[in-house]
Amino acid sequence: MSAALPVPVIQLLQVLTIALGAPGVTGVIARVEARLQGRRGPRVLQPYYDLAKLFRKEALAPDGSSWFFLAAPLIAVTAYLTIPLLIPVLTSYGLPLGYMGDILGGGFLLSLASFVIATAALETGSPYAQLGSSRAKTFSAITEPVVLFVVFTVALLTGTDLPYALAATVRSSAGQIIRPAHLLAATALFMVILHETGRIPVETHTGTSEFGMIEEARSFEHSGPYLALLKWGSELKQLILFTILADVFLAPWGLASSQRLGAVILAIAALLAKACAVGCVVAVIDNSFAKLRLFKITEYVSAAFLIAVLGVFTLYLGGG
Amino acid sequence: MDPTQAPGVYEGVANVIAAVMLLIEFGLLRQALARDQIRLYMAQSALISVLAIVIAADRNLPDLYALAALSAALKVVAVPLVMRRLLARTEPEEGEEAPGVAGSQTLSPASAVLAGIVLAAVGFFCFGALKIHGPAAPALALALAAAMVLVAFGLMIVRRDVASQAIGFFTLENAISLAALVVASGLPLILETAFLFDLLVAVVVFGMLIRTHHVRAESLSTADLTRLRG
Repeated sequence: MSAALPVPVIQLLQVLTIALGAPGVTGVIARVEARLQGRRGPRVLQPYYDLAKLFRKEALAPDGSSWFFLAAPLIAVTAYLTIPLLIPVLTSYGLPLGYMGDILGGGFLLSLASFVIATAALETGSPYAQLGSSRAKTFSAITEPVVLFVVFTVALLTGTDLPYALAATVRSSAGQIIRPAHLLAATALFMVILHETGRIPVETHTGTSEFGMIEEARSFEHSGPYLALLKWGSELKQLILFTILADVFLAPWGLASSQRLGAVILAIAALLAKACAVGCVVAVIDNSFAKLRLFKITEYVSAAFLIAVLGVFTLYLGGG
Repeated sequence: MDPTQAPGVYEGVANVIAAVMLLIEFGLLRQALARDQIRLYMAQSALISVLAIVIAADRNLPDLYALAALSAALKVVAVPLVMRRLLARTEPEEGEEAPGVAGSQTLSPASAVLAGIVLAAVGFFCFGALKIHGPAAPALALALAAAMVLVAFGLMIVRRDVASQAIGFFTLENAISLAALVVASGLPLILETAFLFDLLVAVVVFGMLIRTHHVRAESLSTADLTRLRG
């Protein structure tokens, strides 16, 4: 019997797990990906070293950019670090701040972060950064309906749109896992996550070719600690999306149901293991499909949209 | 029925299989190669056999196992084999243009999928308005079958080649089998089998159609048929 942790400490641990675990998950994915391509690959801890190196470097801003250029990475990371308060990261019961926003609230925070980065990129006047932000905004506008329909499905399934409620519903019976609405919504969300984390269908997330760049291009003009914040931010976003997929939709097991220290430590390990497992699946998918032309993106998104809409349709008749 | 209540596991599996069959129907809309269309048709037909097995286990109807085996033999093995041989016979000679089905879409894949969603919605809401309830008729699988019928019609309309239209027709039969399985799974085996062999007639007719069309127009495209010939 281990000691019980106070609730605020657990809440803080949720944020810290995401904040400190995100570069590690990225490192694991990079390693798996390298192995799939027959390379040895970087160390798993490489993202941490990259961030540490960038944090020590000098920061420069382009001529004519305002304070917003430097504030944007801070705002973005703040938004990303607020989301772990709203979603079930470590506990199966809602923490006090967990009810200040629902799934849409989390979505708004993700959009806010993306918006400030895009605005900062526009401010630089650099063509590539502008191209990146223009593409990112265009394509996020067409993936938005998919996310909305996934939220509708969740709302119909649980009668609320709190992520904790859906996780509890999925845990409640096998019938809730196997029903088409749940499977279709989870699939659609997974497709959106593949798109949002820059895997499929066009983007190369390692980002050396400007043609395939969407989100990576936005940070071209940032440097030093600000670039580190942006890189860290995209790693945070990836882990947050993986957490939502794993802890809310696919496998809401292994979460701590009490405040005991042992259970919480186990939940941290389970979360990181689940995120790495999702990351491995993503890496395999990323490496097994050819990248599409940029304007084929509508076909990919229309498939995700179809799956999400069918999820809502199946619920319309009650049996889904 | 309250949507927050999950149906049982068997019904859930049946519904998921029906939903995946509908998704395959949409896959056919996007697919550009006849070879891949036949592969998708095989997958869809295999799923309907799996569904028959699930229903047989759930409702304790042993003759559905026989139907599943028969349906698999016919739709997963025989019909695709015949279709492949027919299409192989229409392979071009050296130096001729290939009479494939690529480029026969009249809509872009994304628009075709959106049109398909509208069709599926019509199917869903019409069946929802009928208010069919009861333990023997899962409303959802029935509505999915209705949506599949409409999307299969859509496939036959938006594609301008005989091969896709034949595949669309065969998947139409799959949709009707799906509806029959979920509504009238207790139908005598002999009747089910008779319906299944109706498909063979369709295969022969479409086979004749494809060959005749290929001989006369030297392509699989039906675009040539719009012009009147004296």
